[in-house]
Amino acid sequence: MTGTRQMVVTLFVVAVTCAVILSFVYAFTEPRIAETQAQLTLSGLEEVISAHKYVEVIPDTLWQAMDSLDQKIGIVFRMFPQGYGGPIPITVGLNNEGTITGIRIASAAEGMSETPGLGAKITEPSFTAQFKDKCAAEVALEQDGGTIQAITAATISSRAVSEGVKKGIEKYAEYLESGFDMSIIFPEANNFIEITADSIWYALVNSDTVGIVFIGVSQGYLDCIKFMVGYSQERRITGVAILYSQETEGIGEVIRDQEFLEKFKDGIPEAVSGATISTKALIDGVTSGIQRYGEYIK
Amino acid sequence: MTRFNIFTRGLVKENAVFVLMIGLCPALATSSTVRDGFGMGLAATFVLVFSNLIISILRKNIPNEVRIPIFILVISTFVTIIDYMMQAFQPDLYRALGVFVPLIVVNCMILGRAEAYASKSSVVDSILDGLGTGLGFTLALTVMGTIREILGNGTFLGMTVFGESFKNSPVIFMIMSPGAFLVIGILKALINKYVKKELR
Repeated sequence: MTGTRQMVVTLFVVAVTCAVILSFVYAFTEPRIAETQAQLTLSGLEEVISAHKYVEVIPDTLWQAMDSLDQKIGIVFRMFPQGYGGPIPITVGLNNEGTITGIRIASAAEGMSETPGLGAKITEPSFTAQFKDKCAAEVALEQDGGTIQAITAATISSRAVSEGVKKGIEKYAEYLESGFDMSIIFPEANNFIEITADSIWYALVNSDTVGIVFIGVSQGYLDCIKFMVGYSQERRITGVAILYSQETEGIGEVIRDQEFLEKFKDGIPEAVSGATISTKALIDGVTSGIQRYGEYIK
Repeated sequence: MTRFNIFTRGLVKENAVFVLMIGLCPALATSSTVRDGFGMGLAATFVLVFSNLIISILRKNIPNEVRIPIFILVISTFVTIIDYMMQAFQPDLYRALGVFVPLIVVNCMILGRAEAYASKSSVVDSILDGLGTGLGFTLALTVMGTIREILGNGTFLGMTVFGESFKNSPVIFMIMSPGAFLVIGILKALINKYVKKELR
């Protein structure tokens, strides 16, 4: 019996001592680990878009880049497209116009596992620099109809990067919309204050409210249509802009037509024949938006 | 056996990697560059020395039936310490070594020294034994790392050795897995032919 007790007691004492020592080591190193980690992330972000500070929107995935006046100047996001040897960690910087400010691919030490000497060349500046100043439509390998030159004998890795970057832009572009210049649809106002995040704003002249700006979505012919409307105190539409639309080229595309959008200023226009579904979707969307958000106008 | 012999035994005559052929998994996986090999070697040395020290101190109080769990507890404590320390102060090295740092826990070289030596020997002897074995492991990994990095990548500790034209090394596979097997095989063959006889 003494033997068993001694076994249990010794094991218990050793385990408790180990746990206590480890908790001290953890308390000592934890802040330092967090700091190095944050530093590392920050320097990675700075490499793709230089900003005064970065506000994390989705942990470890998406950041808003701010200038020193707290204005949003763009976003940074991370993607992990499947390459030849595993997921490739890519960091992409986008400015408000949706143009790439820079991309960075993690080195082998940071978890990129493409073949050394071949696929691993995607980390070199000669490859990554090609993405700078491109928009989503241009990001594809030359053989896929784009502008990115693939690395010889590393097409899979090169394609994984360009497709990953493109997918990322499509996925996160919605976070850029706040960068939309609202004065285009509300020229009289000189300041905008957010009422509800990314959907309604007060339009101000100095500090007087003169109207509202809101974002609306309605179902179009092919996909949803996302638009922004300026609506003044006098219950007049000051402007309409399309933020997102995939309507049929040449027909439904009329909703992007400046001439059509201008008509809203003189009251709700008629649907355009030949593109009834698309134009009606926008018209109904604007009308119901005004009904819904009209209450914000004093 | 003199104290000096206890130290040098693990370093050369019973070198864990080249002679005893134990601890091979981390030796192959982390010796692609000098820095990684050296870093891994030092991490293992730290764990070896301290686990040998503690186990030697406790050796008279450890009941025989539970000695293995206690050894593992002590070893894993030091592995966790070095794991945290590396994350905090050497984050680049930590990421390069990846899963092999926590895996030091199950490195049979360390448990082997605890079981075969530290649990039966004096404190000073155990420290010397741990130090010798650990530095022997470090030596092996650094030698392999040097050969593989120079041939496979054309660099030594990140510094270019053969100039720009060698940047795309023709034997790039040396820093990949096959290179590890080739290098350890060739080194083992050379050691068998030239070194081992003299030490017998």
